[in-house]
Amino acid sequence: MESYWKSVLSAESSRAAYQSAVTARNQQLGAFLEFDPERGAAVSAEHCLEAVNRGQRAGDNPPDSALATVERLPFAVKDNIAVDTFSLTCGSRMLERFRSPYSATAVARLCAAGATVVGKTNMDEFGMGSATENSALAQTHNPFDRSRVAGGSSGGSAVAVAAGMVPFALGSDTGGSIRQPAAFCGVYGLKPTYGSVSRYGLVAYASSLEGIGVLASSVDLTEAVFQVMRGQDEMDHSSLATPAELVGASSVAQTGTRVGVLTGDLGLDDQVAAGYQRSIEVLQQLGYRFERVELPTLEYCVPAYYTIAAAEASANLARYNGVRYGLRPDYAENPEELVRAAREQGFGPEVKLRILLGTYVLRSGFQDQYYLRAQKIRTAIRNDLTRIFQSVDLLFMPVFPVQAFGHGAEGLSPFQQKLADRFTSTANLSGLPALALPMGLENGLPLGMQLMAPAFHEHRLFQVARVLEEELPPPVPPQYPPLWQSHTVPE
Amino acid sequence: MYQSFIGLEIHIQLLTQTKIFCGCRAAFGDEPNSNVCPVCMGYPGVLPALNQQAMHMAYLVAHALNCTLAPQTGFDRKNYFYPDLPKNYQISQFAAPLGTDGYLDVEFHRKKKRVRIHEVHLEEDAGKMIHAGDMSLLDYNRAGTPLLEIVTEPDMEIGEEAEMLLQQFRRLVRYLGVCDGNMEEGSLRCDANVSINRRGEGLGRKVEIKNMNSSRFVRKALNYEIARQQEILDRGGTVVQETRLWNENRDLTETMRVKESANDYRYFPEPDLPPFNADGAFLAAVEADLVELPAARKERFMRDYALSEPQADFLSDEKPLADYYEDAVLQGADPAAAAGWLAGDVRKMLNRYNTALTESPLSVQRFAGLLMLLAEGRIHGKIAKQTLEAIFTEDKEPELIIREKGWEQITDSARLQTYVDEVLAEQARVVEQINSGDARPLGFLVGQVMRRTSGRAEPQLVTALLKQSLGLEIVHVLSFGGAISGTRGDDGLIVPGDLRDLKDIIDQEVSTRIRFEEVQLGRFLSEEITPADWATLIDAVNTRLHTGDASGIVIAHGTDTLAYTASLLYWFFADSTVPIVLTASAVPWEPISERAQSGSEAVRNLRAAVERATSNVPGVHVVYGEQDLSPINLKFERIGAESPDLPGPFRNWNQSTPVYRGRPVVEGPLELDLAGLTERLERTIGSIYVAKIYPGMRGDALIALINAGVRYFILELFDTGTASLRETPFSLKQAFAYGAERGVRFFCTSQQEGIVDFSEYVTGHELWKEGAIPMGTLTTETVYTRLIASLIASDDESEVLRRMEEAL
Ligand SMILES: [Zn+2]
Repeated sequence: MESYWKSVLSAESSRAAYQSAVTARNQQLGAFLEFDPERGAAVSAEHCLEAVNRGQRAGDNPPDSALATVERLPFAVKDNIAVDTFSLTCGSRMLERFRSPYSATAVARLCAAGATVVGKTNMDEFGMGSATENSALAQTHNPFDRSRVAGGSSGGSAVAVAAGMVPFALGSDTGGSIRQPAAFCGVYGLKPTYGSVSRYGLVAYASSLEGIGVLASSVDLTEAVFQVMRGQDEMDHSSLATPAELVGASSVAQTGTRVGVLTGDLGLDDQVAAGYQRSIEVLQQLGYRFERVELPTLEYCVPAYYTIAAAEASANLARYNGVRYGLRPDYAENPEELVRAAREQGFGPEVKLRILLGTYVLRSGFQDQYYLRAQKIRTAIRNDLTRIFQSVDLLFMPVFPVQAFGHGAEGLSPFQQKLADRFTSTANLSGLPALALPMGLENGLPLGMQLMAPAFHEHRLFQVARVLEEELPPPVPPQYPPLWQSHTVPE
Repeated sequence: MYQSFIGLEIHIQLLTQTKIFCGCRAAFGDEPNSNVCPVCMGYPGVLPALNQQAMHMAYLVAHALNCTLAPQTGFDRKNYFYPDLPKNYQISQFAAPLGTDGYLDVEFHRKKKRVRIHEVHLEEDAGKMIHAGDMSLLDYNRAGTPLLEIVTEPDMEIGEEAEMLLQQFRRLVRYLGVCDGNMEEGSLRCDANVSINRRGEGLGRKVEIKNMNSSRFVRKALNYEIARQQEILDRGGTVVQETRLWNENRDLTETMRVKESANDYRYFPEPDLPPFNADGAFLAAVEADLVELPAARKERFMRDYALSEPQADFLSDEKPLADYYEDAVLQGADPAAAAGWLAGDVRKMLNRYNTALTESPLSVQRFAGLLMLLAEGRIHGKIAKQTLEAIFTEDKEPELIIREKGWEQITDSARLQTYVDEVLAEQARVVEQINSGDARPLGFLVGQVMRRTSGRAEPQLVTALLKQSLGLEIVHVLSFGGAISGTRGDDGLIVPGDLRDLKDIIDQEVSTRIRFEEVQLGRFLSEEITPADWATLIDAVNTRLHTGDASGIVIAHGTDTLAYTASLLYWFFADSTVPIVLTASAVPWEPISERAQSGSEAVRNLRAAVERATSNVPGVHVVYGEQDLSPINLKFERIGAESPDLPGPFRNWNQSTPVYRGRPVVEGPLELDLAGLTERLERTIGSIYVAKIYPGMRGDALIALINAGVRYFILELFDTGTASLRETPFSLKQAFAYGAERGVRFFCTSQQEGIVDFSEYVTGHELWKEGAIPMGTLTTETVYTRLIASLIASDDESEVLRRMEEAL
């Protein structure tokens, strides 16, 4: 597999075969909005070098092994992350024809290490959704069952990896947008510690919650990509260096790791509840010690998360006014009308809803009731987790209460989808790292659980995930076997 | 009676290299949209990266404004839609501004005030939208440039105070080098809020005023607005809380187009920027950049270099000039001379050659060198001016210039004495004439010596040496009318005359070494003095001071107007090293009469004056009997002939020790000839009106005077400065308003002895608000002549006002 990916883009023949295979699969699955390895190869080398050198990366310089792992690999990028040779649509009519003049730091660092962007993946408009159904530009299907959704908002990236179109993809996680589609599609999905990967080039939805992360087909690759991307960046003043004492921490399996599990009624459907229990048993058999922990703030997560996310979104999306770029009406009487018409035509209903909600919660006189209250809950959640991580090394939780659901009316209502974000949004509110990992199939659909660790303790996530990977390798969608099985790889 | 409250919101563009959150050049006047990048254009996915230099400058300003500096500060988003704001939110500071609770001291018309600074915060500027026909054009070069906002408390009351505060603030930021302070170009912008209310009822309804592009407009707009609001309240109306724009073409404020919705900026913390910690190293760096501020420097200049306030003001106004001045002093220039030259001849040269001091050929070394040549007596004043000009035209060292041109004067007294001796030996006949009592040919002898030295001798030194060799002292006695020079006619009435009789008596009494030169300036009584007479007197004194032969000058004057002439001469010649002594007598000298007793007063006073004039006491004196009075604040308090037992009819007000010497208003040599001076005095005096306030005085009388061309009033008020401002025909309020609109100035004195200070009574405070200028301890006569002198000294209105305030 590794040799296939390392050489797929290097020879004309294999590249052509790869391109036609991906194009065929994409027609069925709708993972990519744009697929063009040549344009990926044309990414500005200057930008890449700049991004590598920006900031104090001393402790965060990627190990040679990580650089070697990502070198020459093709990868996909969610279409809300800037790449200077591609569009940056964010799944929105507003930016449908917008081409990015620059590249995100994370992308540039990967390209500098020799990886190549092959395309941009579909997503819920501006990251607002849990099924990639809010994309204004394409529909994405779950490779295990095309009548079902891929999850979201990084649905395109999850499908691209799960359906073997790329070994890894970048996504963004604001409230679970990497981990939930990863769980729905049976791949690894890492949401790193807030600040560990530069957000420069990630189109902002909810700045204080989101970050760029990885969706990948293996733990090694997930870790290597993370190591190449992370580290401070002068272009992102909220980016952070790994604390000195954690630099170089080993992700080799340790004994005596204490894992916390949630007690009580978690509101899971039967399959997921059973899967959670079974996963705990697997871990116990592997020798992990379990402690039951309570997370009393869990039920407040979703309202706090949506309040803060909407508030920040209302400001972050204010820049799309049709004046400097993006969709603009052919004619407007005056600047005010131009702005109004551009936003009316450019945004989809879910985006408008969240902007309105955010505007509402920030009104003067109402901030105490909504925005500031949400911030208090956020602090309480952080405190809860700090307390919990004094007695356990990791927290083991479901990702989502259900498995991949059906498209449209067959699936969850938008309201149910939001409620279901409670397990994932915890990590976003607290800024802690979390990794979704595949736990086999249930009813023919992938089942995903997640591990959460203290800030900058991603290595603990990889320690456990690596052990589990041997027991439960990521499932392969029967209709989309790995490309190297059907193609001859030139040596 | 209303109280007014003015607060300012000042924005300054910080002179950083790059914008506040990106690496674009923060420059103005470049091609539109050339200094932009994805960050400042608000492209998707970009993030702000804080410019440390902007933060440094911001803390520097806050520190200079005596603010409490936040140990940790942060940014917030201020949300509003406008096409020139790329992100449609502005990154600003709301919850934790970097500076709070500061102050800046201002002074207007002697009223000192501490204006509190509410807060100082840093933010990004927006771009510019220009409407061109049916298009709207946008230039984002300015978008994201660092902007510092300073918000004051509503501590000011009148437009003049706001103007002063702005000027002082502008000077401060220029000193700190953080802003060029150009209001016309918008690098310093000011909005104001103003409210009025009945006294004691607190703040009123706030009106915001925008579009004031100079500090002068700020003053005018605020005063207009206060008057407008007063009128509304007077009519029983309510002031609408709104934003108004200053219309500089129509001199009024107008309601700004009302926005469709009320502004709710929905502030919340900026998630893209972590809190900024002002740690020890950062604060130390700020401290290190905190230069001596203009106000402190001005104070120090006055203290250390004995400069007058206008001089210190002028020198400390711009940091480069202040640095230049101090450098020159450090290199040996005399502080007073350096100040005088910089404000006078050097400034003229810079204007003529249209260059800045620091870029001109006049380096600090050359300037100090020139002044030292002058101080050492190697060149005299006139040559110094020529040398200065040569530095500008030839770009050479002053030393080289005087050597090349042979301008160095002969300063060696011993060498000059040989020339003097030669001339005296040659001109035996002239010497004899002088020895016999006629000092007039002295000038001829001076000329002879000068010719022998080819003009390289200093004329005053030559005169001094000649006088010394001849054992000569010369007192010029100027007869300037009045009873002292008059005679009593057969009908018993005093008529004007000359000093001939008196001169004879005095001549017999005084030492033979004193030559008594009587000059007849006019036969008139004191009350008949015209501006032309004053011109003649000033010209005569000036001429005699500059020929250099006078040991002293005596002016025989009438009693009625002595207080005026004495102070007028003081404002012209206060720095005279030659004593100028005025004297008078209530009655003329009468040889044989029943009034002989009192009539001998004329002899007594003239004799005392001549003695004073030869006793080497510099400055201007008024001698009456035993008294040696100051020429300023002289009051003629009793009339009629005096018996020798009584003190004279004159007294100085508000002076524990009499002032004879000081800084004249008209500095340097008088540049006008007699005709010019006469014309100037007549014109000047015609624009002044002195009025005494009395119950029943009608304000509209003053309005009529304004319409007749009066530009300056000297109002003699009651007590510490009170007058009626009640809304009656007798109120002065309307006259003040009417005058203020026309640029008329009101200088206020008191009918009583004491200090005019408007802070005592509410009516006084109202006067201050109306723009009346309290003249402190100065009497009406003294203020009147000071105003004349100020108007002669300068055509520039603000310069005149500065000279008037300097008197305080
Ligand atoms: Zn820029």
